[in-house]
Amino acid sequence: MGNSSAFWLGLAVAVAVLAALPVLFGLYAAEVGSVFLAYALLGMSLAFIWGYCGILSFGQVAFFGVAGYAFGIVAINAATLTGLTLAVLAALGVSTAFAAALGYFMFYGGVRDVYVTILTLVVALVLYTFMGQTAGGEWAIGDARLGGFNGMSGVPDLAIGVGSTGVEIGPLGHYYVTLGALVATYLGLRALVNSRFGYAMVATREDEDRTAMFGYDTTFVKLVVFTIGGAIAGLGGVLFTTQNNYVDPSVFGITAAALPVVWASVGGRTSLLGTVGAALAIQFVDYRLALSGSEWALVLIGSLLVFVVLVMPEGVAPRLHEYVLEYREDADPSPVPRDSSAATEEVSD
Amino acid sequence: MLELLNFGFEFVEIFAFIVLATVGLAVIFGMMGIINLAHGEFILVGAYATTFTFDAGLPLPLAMLAGVVLTAVYGLVLERLIIRHLYGRLLDSMVVTWGISLVMIQLTRIVFGNTAPGIGIPYGQLPVVDGPIYYLVLAVVAVGVLGGLYALFTWTDFGIRARATMQDETTARSMGVDTDRMYMTTFAVGSGLAGLAGALYAPVMTVTPEYGTGFLIETFVAVVVGGASVLVGTVLASGLLGTVNAAVTNVAGTFMGQVAMLIAAIVAIRLMPEGITGMLADWRESRGESQ
Amino acid sequence: MATSDPTVKTAPAVDETGPDSSRILQTRGLRKAFGGLTATDDVDFALEAGELRCLIGPNGAGKSTFLDLLTGRLEPTAGKIYYDGADITGLPSHERVDRGISMKFQVPSVYEGLTVAGNLRIPLQRVVEPDAFDARTREILERFDLLAERETVAGELSHGQQQRLEIGMAMAMEPNLLLLDEPVAGLSVEETADIADLLREIADDDGVAVIVIEHDIDFVETIADRVTVLDGGSIFREGSIEEIRTDPEVKRIYLGEDR
Repeated sequence: MGNSSAFWLGLAVAVAVLAALPVLFGLYAAEVGSVFLAYALLGMSLAFIWGYCGILSFGQVAFFGVAGYAFGIVAINAATLTGLTLAVLAALGVSTAFAAALGYFMFYGGVRDVYVTILTLVVALVLYTFMGQTAGGEWAIGDARLGGFNGMSGVPDLAIGVGSTGVEIGPLGHYYVTLGALVATYLGLRALVNSRFGYAMVATREDEDRTAMFGYDTTFVKLVVFTIGGAIAGLGGVLFTTQNNYVDPSVFGITAAALPVVWASVGGRTSLLGTVGAALAIQFVDYRLALSGSEWALVLIGSLLVFVVLVMPEGVAPRLHEYVLEYREDADPSPVPRDSSAATEEVSD
Repeated sequence: MLELLNFGFEFVEIFAFIVLATVGLAVIFGMMGIINLAHGEFILVGAYATTFTFDAGLPLPLAMLAGVVLTAVYGLVLERLIIRHLYGRLLDSMVVTWGISLVMIQLTRIVFGNTAPGIGIPYGQLPVVDGPIYYLVLAVVAVGVLGGLYALFTWTDFGIRARATMQDETTARSMGVDTDRMYMTTFAVGSGLAGLAGALYAPVMTVTPEYGTGFLIETFVAVVVGGASVLVGTVLASGLLGTVNAAVTNVAGTFMGQVAMLIAAIVAIRLMPEGITGMLADWRESRGESQ
Repeated sequence: MATSDPTVKTAPAVDETGPDSSRILQTRGLRKAFGGLTATDDVDFALEAGELRCLIGPNGAGKSTFLDLLTGRLEPTAGKIYYDGADITGLPSHERVDRGISMKFQVPSVYEGLTVAGNLRIPLQRVVEPDAFDARTREILERFDLLAERETVAGELSHGQQQRLEIGMAMAMEPNLLLLDEPVAGLSVEETADIADLLREIADDDGVAVIVIEHDIDFVETIADRVTVLDGGSIFREGSIEEIRTDPEVKRIYLGEDR
């Protein structure tokens, strides 16, 4: 998979279907869909750092939420075209810098494995607790009130421009911007993962000490990967917040923190697209269940996670990929050697 | 003098909380290297079992005992059904326990609703310092649990086998230790201790489906700061975090106390990436390495 | 190289002389202590380019510690390491690798999840341009007799194949100095003979200096130019294999103990 024309055709069809959704189902579908696509970015950020570099972060939502709050704070105070554009940049800057700082602290401090996992989760939970107690009037930055558990409301829509030239992006536009961001991020990560740096990442995942002995600065590799992951989660957070015009501490909560882990585990952490697919599918089901008044969504999601990790630890997408390969080999009994691009398979999607 | 008493009481309260909340998680982590993300929900089981048996008319101590036993049994069942398939897959086991946690929180909500019957804090108020006598009882229980675990790991056959398994599973197995059984027992013990925390704090904290998450930050931080050695790690981490928290709480209030404790934890992790006991182990190892 | 730092004068005169430029590797007064235990004690060691040296000695003689000091996994308590005329003491591992020191670990440590070609790419992309990956990979696989396994996942290789792959990966770095910790441990007689041939070839044809830690004295005999015997962290004897083999003192501390 990964490089065949069938793969690219499939990807094009999938993107076309996603692009057609608002046309087929109307504006409301676009609004809901935007949120799912923003979640997909969050999921992809985890698949990237966990699946390709072995850094299991339970706190990707920290960057997602921090970016959301940062956008809200800047945007509420400067709701002009220029201001909103700066708010996007500020939010991405803050989440990226936050990830870089946390990554520097952990990786250069020698923090590893389960300790990284728990530390990232604790960071998210601490943000949850902290933002939860900001209900008082003293917790305001300019006109932006943090609002405690009631959250920060009145966050403006996304807009890009300088001075009076530019566009305010409405719900429909927002959907396509989010879809575009998702596709662009996927293509970018794909290129990165297949580059020299991608091999360094995978080697670090497989055996860090060994990789250091080949002259790689594995600590730096992890820092870069973790920072990129934070930036992508932050991008998701901005798009999430601008869609809802609202952000509250539940983005940092234990349930929200679990979701990216569910998507990546179910979809397959070594498959960026598998994770995206799982995020879209699971959130869609969750949404439908919530709509019908059912309380069983989280039970279902939790059970699905347990089931998938027990039955196919590598996730759904890699398992499907294996079936496809086996099927092709069965269908074509001549012992044709696999093409030379197979060497890139271990890192490509 | 009163100042000092207040600080002392504050410390005792926080220390007991961290020890009781953490020790079940620490037993499982130290033994198997798994951080049980459903730890908070094991605590929840203990709290609900206590609340409902008390509500049904059982005396409080017996209700708490029921909480402990039920949680241990519950842990045992989960271990047999799910956890045992994940030995040797650390990260997977953490992910799975998180899934279990999601299911348990939501099932609790569906079955029991958002509130549970309350239990009043027993034994009344202390003289001089402002606080319930019950907190001192909790502290005594915390010390008792630590002492009990020390005895268990030091003097019993189970303890010796458990430590052998912790040191080196393969060697332990080759010496006839049934490591599978060890893990099963440890998981049940750890679950029971989580149930104990839930039972003991049921009168103090409002019991809701999110009850368990109220323990999470302290427990995770304490386990990470403590490192893989159960008793020493728990005691040292709880002592360190409790002291910082109590001192700052006394001066600047509960929230700042929490913040200070987390900052202390972060500094500790930065300096000792594998916890206090990880550092101690490194130090011991480096002294003996040329052997 | 002699430093003008006045504090050095009070120390033993180990730092006073610089490196001998004809040597690829030299250590002066190298010492490593762990707490109260000295694992490496005042080792003066020298190696010519293209020389194949075996390090032997009883368990706990400090062989692995010495190698770890050379790769930078451990920092010495005292003393200097000179490589190719330059002082590399205190340089991090990856910089030593960039200068041409390659290491093969005691247990085979290939990337078990990657294919053989993928394994080779990790070192290769450090030293050659992407358009040369294919050609170099083929070259190395041919030399190490792994061409048929090119797309095999390394975790599925036999023990001997993994050892060959790992030496191939070390050689892909185009080193001037190759360090190997027990490269034939657990291998069959044939596999051992293959590795012996490869190592001789690496020293003779590629001109790479090689240090091998080895227990198997017969293997040492087939490959070594010279042998260094370590005991208690210090160099006990150094000489040709005949000299070492017939030395009664060596027999006493090493051969007598192990066999």
